Amino acid sequence: MQVSYFETARYRVPPAIPAEWPVPPGAYDPETGAEAYQGMVDRVQFVEELGFDWVSLSEHHYSPRILTPNIAVSGSYIAARSKRIKIAVLGPIVSQSNPVQVAEEMAMLDTLSNGRLVFGMLRGTTNEYLTFDLNPAEARERTTEGMELILKAWTEPQPFGWQGRHYQFRTVSVWPRPLQQPLPPTYSLGTSRESCEFAARHHIGLGVSFAPFEIVAKSTRYYREQCRHYGWEPAAEQMIYRANILLADTDEEAHELLEQQRRGAAPFPMRAGVREALLKLDQRNVAGEARSPNVGGVLPTSFYGGPDTVVAQIRRCRDEVGVGVLDLAFQNPGAPDTGRLMRSLELFAEKVLPRIREV
Amino acid sequence: MRVLQKGLIVTQAGDAFREGHVDADGFRIRYMEAGQGPPFVHLHGAGGLRLTRGHDLLSRQFRVIAFEMPGFGASPENDRSRDMPELAATMATATDALGLDQFNLMGTSFGGKTALWLALLQPDRVQALVLEAPAAIRPHGSRPPAGSPEEMARRLFAHPERLAPMPLPDPAVQARQARLTARLRGPDRDADLEGRLPGLVVPTLVLFGTVDRVIPPEMGHFYKELMPNCHLVFVYDAGHAISTDRPEAFVEVVADFIERREAFVISRTDTVIHP
Amino acid sequence: MKVSYFETARYRAPRQLPAQWPVPPAAYDRDAGTQSYHGMVERMQFVEKLGFDWISVSEHHYSPQRLTPNPVVSAAYLAGYAQNIKIAVLGPIVSQSNPVQVAEELAMLDNMLPGRLVVGMLRGITGEYLTYGLNPAEARERTSEAMELVLKAWTEPQPFGWQGRHFRFRTVAVWPRPRQQPHPPTYALGTSRESCEFAARHHLGLGVSYAPFGVIAKATRFYRDACAQCGWQPAPEHVIYRANILISETDTEAEALLDEQRRARQAFPLRAQVRDALLELDIRNVAGEARTPNVGSVLPTNFVGSPDTIVEQIKCCREQSGVGVIDLMFQIPGSADLGFLMRSLELFGTKVLPRIRDV
Repeated sequence: MQVSYFETARYRVPPAIPAEWPVPPGAYDPETGAEAYQGMVDRVQFVEELGFDWVSLSEHHYSPRILTPNIAVSGSYIAARSKRIKIAVLGPIVSQSNPVQVAEEMAMLDTLSNGRLVFGMLRGTTNEYLTFDLNPAEARERTTEGMELILKAWTEPQPFGWQGRHYQFRTVSVWPRPLQQPLPPTYSLGTSRESCEFAARHHIGLGVSFAPFEIVAKSTRYYREQCRHYGWEPAAEQMIYRANILLADTDEEAHELLEQQRRGAAPFPMRAGVREALLKLDQRNVAGEARSPNVGGVLPTSFYGGPDTVVAQIRRCRDEVGVGVLDLAFQNPGAPDTGRLMRSLELFAEKVLPRIREV
Repeated sequence: MRVLQKGLIVTQAGDAFREGHVDADGFRIRYMEAGQGPPFVHLHGAGGLRLTRGHDLLSRQFRVIAFEMPGFGASPENDRSRDMPELAATMATATDALGLDQFNLMGTSFGGKTALWLALLQPDRVQALVLEAPAAIRPHGSRPPAGSPEEMARRLFAHPERLAPMPLPDPAVQARQARLTARLRGPDRDADLEGRLPGLVVPTLVLFGTVDRVIPPEMGHFYKELMPNCHLVFVYDAGHAISTDRPEAFVEVVADFIERREAFVISRTDTVIHP
Repeated sequence: MKVSYFETARYRAPRQLPAQWPVPPAAYDRDAGTQSYHGMVERMQFVEKLGFDWISVSEHHYSPQRLTPNPVVSAAYLAGYAQNIKIAVLGPIVSQSNPVQVAEELAMLDNMLPGRLVVGMLRGITGEYLTYGLNPAEARERTSEAMELVLKAWTEPQPFGWQGRHFRFRTVAVWPRPRQQPHPPTYALGTSRESCEFAARHHLGLGVSYAPFGVIAKATRFYRDACAQCGWQPAPEHVIYRANILISETDTEAEALLDEQRRARQAFPLRAQVRDALLELDIRNVAGEARTPNVGSVLPTNFVGSPDTIVEQIKCCREQSGVGVIDLMFQIPGSADLGFLMRSLELFGTKVLPRIRDV
């Protein structure tokens, strides 16, 4: 089992800051901002030493809780300040980006990090549609087309044009190319049937997140079936499960902290009117079964307890879901106390990591 | 051919086209023509002449002349054309007979190879060359589409389920066409042709659909590498029959290329949202 | 006089490359690519020691000569290694980017540095119009609107919408904010009347490039007049001059090397027909006087000679045009001989830099 540490460049949000998204930028404090990025580097260097395999980043906009609107920028800063750890960008929101630009940036990142890039392509969480005015009805199609264009931009040897439905270019000729050949480890991120099919068709991995084991297991099962249909078998490392983890010294402590957290603020709370409208427009599914989108609310915690309990949960996850990589979010974004976070990380490295390597 | 559009059957494609005949090399060659403007000659694929919405859209800007090559459709069996260059020479004579001096030329699939040979034989007459999913460079072991109408549809179109059922082809015609194309299609990698392509300076546009299940779009870069003035464009979510699957996207880039040749890489899109 | 070293992430192709743009990515060599980013860091550390004030990076796409399609990504990588040198991103081609995204990326970078970022916003050289399909006729307007939107995104304290001609957003609320307030030192790059007027109106600096001193002086004069009309006086540091330099031990040597270089191949050669079409469409001016755009041909070398000669030329430049920052592209005649580059940097750093500080 490989383990990834999910880093959010958390900004220590004072309680006075308004909760609703988007948060007025006037509330930003430059000192706190600089600390957020310094903290990011400190934590990456810490987990690298502890033996984590990857550090992962995500793309979010207009929020103090996750200060990484452009992953390639934070990724390359991290690349300069780390040596061996893989840098997993999970992932650029393809539906609202220029796919050629994503291809260019990620090729740069793979090269300057000496081939440490892991690349995941994301459709985008529901609240993100508001960032760059993406029409939710178009998100699925734009993502699929964007992902194809990115893959083509990395593999087509000659300059080419692209007549898409949503993207049109007369000339695409990306320099540099990624260092890893033919592609960096690439994943389609999302539990939907479309995501699974795309991944199977293009021989790339699948990333699922946050939902309980039984639900994500539906996706990984469907993905594996689809791969067989296309004539291949994915390795365990080609499936990632991003999840929240709350590790404490004992089970009781963990339960208590979890209760505390459940009473805390949601990461991206929206005005009710907007949230309702988005819920109606955003069609999501898990391997074909409809599911309601999460519009900025609190996400479940899949792993919690003392070390023994968490080890058991991880083993169960591997059995039920079949993933070979766990991308762990150690604490909900926005919680100000990072001391506890560091202790959790140490505890994990000491008491959990060695016991799950062969899982 | 009847075309489905958003669930409603609209006008037949090719309604505005008028039939004509010319004589060339002892063949009586049928063609369909519509539109005014610069001449745009089309050489069809192995399935024969079939007018699409792509033709209709092109006829709004060009004088489109879609030939039915000898031996295809209802024309008598062609056992005289020995190879592709000969067929191309015959088609060149046909354009002469129509009084065309210079013209734009498009070839689809099998007809793409014919068009390449025509351009090689008479480069001064071809103003711009468009190759729609050309079959001139193929992976080893490539098979032309065959079988039942359902099997054929699956190979030719990206979303066969979205198209209205097509009239069943006459088995005798199919057999004749299959014999002819088998004789003329040539090897998967044609050293003679490929050896000459570096000398073909006619501006050339090569298009492949990203879901082409007959000729893989990965064949596109060979043309670009071999020809000095060649441009490669992928049409997303289109199959082998690009002009059927996505006629608007197809015609937009083809018409732009005919008009501006290599300058078609410069955008002239208006992105003003409101004045 | 401040001095900036223009770093291009030089790619040293192991084999002769086709000259015409775009160069097929099939010709890309991975090792050469990796080397170019490592080299970037080495050279930065070198010029930092020598006492250069800034290091600058630019945006170029689909190019085997400069591997920086997103200059903020390479700048973030440099930021991971920089000690006290300033990093100047000169500049994102705002006419063909999402301006909100540009604002976000630069704000992230300003927090990582922190406070040592300099920004220049560019309309884009003629050849770049082909990269993402930018209509040349719209370039000027898109640039102006984009620059305004970037500035607004950095400074507006509340979330806002933007009903532009070319850009439309319902919600803009950039996090993080730049660390430097109200925003990093920002320059409008270009000699045109529009650039000068925009810079004057928004209290920005002006960046000019490559033309002879007399031509530059026209633009800077116009700029200063425009600033006066807007009620303020720019300092010398408000004007950057990006220029080519060829420095050698003696004047004769330098002239000889210049000749050698003139015989080397073109910068971004385009097919003749495309170049001609672009020349017709691309309307450029210097402070209102029409000028022909440079479509991919070799740029002039503005500083040539021994250290003594160069010092004189710099003084002359300052007298004529009043620039306060020179952003130098150190020429490598003939081949990609990095040894020559390092020797030039050393020569400049030791024999020129100390003498021009008070110019």
